[in-house]
Amino acid sequence: MPITTILIANRGEIACRIQRTARALGLRTTAVYHFADRAAPHVAAADAQVELLADAPTAAYLDVHQLLAAARATGADAVHPGYGFLAENARFAAAVEAAGLTFIGPQPEVIDLMGDKIRAREFAVQHGVPVAPSCTQTGTLDEFVVAASALGFPLLIKAAAGGGGKGMSIVRAAGELRECAQQSAAAATRYFADGRIYAERYVERPRHIEVQVLGDGRGRLVHLFERECSVQRRFQKIIEETPAPNLPSAQRDRICEAAVNLAGAAKYRNVGTVEFILAPDGEFYFLEMNTRLQVEHPVTETVTGFDLVAAQIRIANGEDLWLTQDQVRQRGHAIECRICAEQPEHDFRPATGNIKRLRIPHADGVRFDSGITEGLAVGAAFDSMLAKLVCHGVDRDAAIARMRQALHDLVLLGVDTNVGYLARIFEHPAFVAGQLHTGFVVEHAASLRAAPLAPRERAAILLAAALATDEFRRMAFDIPEPHASIGHWRN
Amino acid sequence: MSRIRSTLNTNTPEFRQNTLANLARRDAFRLRQQTARDARPTRDVERLRKQGKMLPRERLEKLLDPGTPFLELSSLAAGLDYDGEAPGASCITGIGMISGREVIIHADDSSIKGGAWYPLTVKKIVRCLDIAIENRLPVVHLCDSAGGFLPLQSELFPDKHMAGRIFRNQAMLSKLNVKQLSLVFGHCTAGGAYIPALSDYAVIVRGTGAVFLGGPPLVKAATGEIVTVDELGGCDMHTQVSGTCDYPANSELHAVALGREVVAQWERPQKWAIQQTASEPPYYAPEELYGIIPDDIKRGFDMREVIARVVDGSRFHEYQPAYGTTLVCGYANLWGYKIGILANNGVLFNDSALKGAHFIELCNQNATPLVFLQNITGYMVGKEYEARGITKDGAKMIMAQACSRVPKFTVMCHGSFGAGNYGMCGRAYDARLLLAWPNHQIGVMGGEQAARTLAEVKTRQLERDGKALDRGVVEKVYQDTLGAYQEQLSAYYATSKLWDDGIIDPLDTRNALGIAISAALNAPLENPGYGIFRF
Amino acid sequence: MTIHLILDGIPATITILARRPALTCRVGDQIWTVAETAAADAGTVVTIDGEAFHLWRVQEGDRVHIKLGTRTFSLAVDDPINAAAQLGGSSNAVRADMPGVVVGVNCAAGDVVRAGHPLLTIESMKMQMTLTAPRDGTIGTVAVKVNESFQKGAVLVVMAAELEATPS
Repeated sequence: MPITTILIANRGEIACRIQRTARALGLRTTAVYHFADRAAPHVAAADAQVELLADAPTAAYLDVHQLLAAARATGADAVHPGYGFLAENARFAAAVEAAGLTFIGPQPEVIDLMGDKIRAREFAVQHGVPVAPSCTQTGTLDEFVVAASALGFPLLIKAAAGGGGKGMSIVRAAGELRECAQQSAAAATRYFADGRIYAERYVERPRHIEVQVLGDGRGRLVHLFERECSVQRRFQKIIEETPAPNLPSAQRDRICEAAVNLAGAAKYRNVGTVEFILAPDGEFYFLEMNTRLQVEHPVTETVTGFDLVAAQIRIANGEDLWLTQDQVRQRGHAIECRICAEQPEHDFRPATGNIKRLRIPHADGVRFDSGITEGLAVGAAFDSMLAKLVCHGVDRDAAIARMRQALHDLVLLGVDTNVGYLARIFEHPAFVAGQLHTGFVVEHAASLRAAPLAPRERAAILLAAALATDEFRRMAFDIPEPHASIGHWRN
Repeated sequence: MSRIRSTLNTNTPEFRQNTLANLARRDAFRLRQQTARDARPTRDVERLRKQGKMLPRERLEKLLDPGTPFLELSSLAAGLDYDGEAPGASCITGIGMISGREVIIHADDSSIKGGAWYPLTVKKIVRCLDIAIENRLPVVHLCDSAGGFLPLQSELFPDKHMAGRIFRNQAMLSKLNVKQLSLVFGHCTAGGAYIPALSDYAVIVRGTGAVFLGGPPLVKAATGEIVTVDELGGCDMHTQVSGTCDYPANSELHAVALGREVVAQWERPQKWAIQQTASEPPYYAPEELYGIIPDDIKRGFDMREVIARVVDGSRFHEYQPAYGTTLVCGYANLWGYKIGILANNGVLFNDSALKGAHFIELCNQNATPLVFLQNITGYMVGKEYEARGITKDGAKMIMAQACSRVPKFTVMCHGSFGAGNYGMCGRAYDARLLLAWPNHQIGVMGGEQAARTLAEVKTRQLERDGKALDRGVVEKVYQDTLGAYQEQLSAYYATSKLWDDGIIDPLDTRNALGIAISAALNAPLENPGYGIFRF
Repeated sequence: MTIHLILDGIPATITILARRPALTCRVGDQIWTVAETAAADAGTVVTIDGEAFHLWRVQEGDRVHIKLGTRTFSLAVDDPINAAAQLGGSSNAVRADMPGVVVGVNCAAGDVVRAGHPLLTIESMKMQMTLTAPRDGTIGTVAVKVNESFQKGAVLVVMAAELEATPS
């Protein structure tokens, strides 16, 4: 029986995004929310609302028991997890299905497979998808040094047991390897009580290229081309676009083919994203597969014309894939940037506040996906992303031009955002030239800093602020004549 | 309204000489003013600083709206009295703007003998409050005074217009719904304590502000009670216990900020509707006034040349231009306000007096404020003129002028002698504001005229007594009279005694009148009405 | 009368110098003329010395948020009274608003307290009230004990005097 009511186990812009398509398809939605989100737009826009009780706001959206109870209580027959929270939680997917509901996403076992980085990597190797050469220490340090040297330099050495950059170092020459390995091993022991280390070919100036795939779970699968997501800060994407600039088409075909091979081998169901690292020499390596709708899916929608959420629902309804690869075409160029509540000048520290003024840019080829509204409080409880601005153009330059104008036209006041910072990226010659890599933000940190205000600009801002206050306005404008004309005068 | 065609020739030796002389007069005036305002013993200033106090003018500048004018009144009051011990009469008064409201300010000057009230201080404060009553101007008191100057108590305490009048006027103001605010920066002792008590709002500064009928020494002498200033009448006592003051302030700046906020609560005045146009500056350069005013008190000049350098666009609608020509009458605009001007161009004759009386009646019916520009040697004397009724014609002018319902303003441009002073709205006639130029002289008659008159009287006395005519005796009478008059006739003597509301630089006439007219419109306009005109 | 603001962490002051023919202000140590008009798009145009700046602006409490071009700024604007109130010592005495009896004492001499810290619980006319510290500071003396009664206006707690001595 086709889906009639979707419980959206999420909040913010993605909850609103899913509601939009559901409404267009004539489906009902159930919104869930924590008390802190009671005024959020995703709550009011749904057909039914269920409050999730939890002390910590994020915990509410992770509470499987309450989510399923909410679905039952509101007659939902399907659950859309959005992204984040429980989107890649195989147990949640399984629990949804066990409750007799449709999970709008991949099979739980595929989530499980791709969620385990080592198994996913092995799976990729088995199916001929390139992965970065690597080796894990199994024996003595000497054996490890021999094996690692064989991978070629530069190498990234890290603790086998952990992450977070602990014990991580880059080795550029064979002579440094032993010492670095020893240090990493010591650190690994210290932090993870497991001295084993791991070496991987280190790619300098890598690009992050990912491929959108869509499968029906029965082996029929297409890709919807790649996305370039190299512009990142604090390991999170802030700008995504498609097609990837300066990517030869042969190479693009190879990457997309690799993605299709991997997802096809997993009989992937629903939408998913296969992420790769692209080295300057043209080699690319499988990074991981995201078994969910991506934040940056709108750029793919924009150039292909498909509604990916609608596609998810059709697939979840058990439809066979209705597309063949040659029916997937790209039209023009699309760029997305993520509007975040943060202070770029303070290492992108998250910011909080109240959205006092929101004016959304309206123009051809401009899309604004958000879960915010004027008057909404932006707290520290959730992710700092407030909205996504997506611009379409006949080519990349046209899309960039629209983006600049849209960032100029967007008014979002009351909480610090990265709007000005994003605008500077779109003005940056390296970005305009498509010279992208994941270290872009760090490499260009100095030239991306805001220019100091000219004295006149500074005066304009200060005076505009003063003129916003009653006290100053009264002083400036409520002085009657002839006193105002006489001005400062002493006899 | 057409522009006055100036016939002033700025290339004459006379113009040059006048300019140099009047600039020197202006500089001398500014020097006296600056001394009166700012010359204080370092010791006194340091004492105030140590108490965390601002000087009174610093308080004023913080209190007033920035970029607005302040018309200070009687800046040289008491200048020639008390051996110069009380410059400005130890207080500052003037009209200014606070939080967009026109107010009159009275500020004690504690940098002079602790702000003690001299007799002329009392007179200046009473005049300030009279102006407040006449114009319905809200008052802001900046209190910081040691109290009455006891050695001169007989001259400041007992009479009708002495200290009691301050508090009587405060009560009258309140009855008229005119707001008052006191900012208590220092002590308000004895009578002074009633100033905040009779105000609608009172702010008091913690640590330095105090209000009491008797200070600690007086209390100890009277009852033996030993008490500190703060316990007796400090900020916390009055704002928490007695309720004599309303707002505690942590500092003088805090008091100023609170005061501005209090004034901001007051309703804006409903002024009466005077005829108004957009204002324009005078067409002729006001600086030329210095070349117009004669260096010699006896020399006449065409007052139209003065009008041309004060009013909007130098435009003037002259009334009866061919009749009674020694009194120039007509309409003009000043800072956009329609005004009626009466200006002396010589001695007043029957026709000029009748013309003046008639024009005053026109302005009263027309609701047009009157501006008198005085340079008057009096009404014409002699058998012929008495026979023509110069006295009853002058009486008509005085009647019309004294009974005027419209606000009147007087500027002493040069001489003011004899009964002409009455007809031209001298001090006794309740001009809302009476201002004088530094060259101004005032007296019942001119110095030489008085000396000649008294010498003549002496000669006739000697004749009557049958004594020989002693030229020396007569000459001594002449010289003594001349000397005494020269001192008493001077603008500085007059302003020291508060016979006016202050000396101003002639260039400031336009601004001062603009502020004064604006203030005057706060008071409601009564119906016209006169006594009996003698025909 | 000066407005104090903070932009990008840098304090600035604005004073009005004149209003005609154009509003003229001193901003820091520079003088500008300023005019403001509403823009057709509901934004604001602020013209500084003849140069027009189109911006968006919203006030929120003591802050003003401004967007100029693609940049946003959040400025702090001092409330003049609150700013001035910080300049001197506030009241030392905590007095009784009405006669009553002390029910609880929550402070002792020498305690360092913040403004609003509960000092005493008193009961008057069958109603209990909490008296709080009028400012940040140190408790000087606690003049009453539990069960002690007091008259209206009685000084119950005295905060220690601040640095400045009170002149006589």
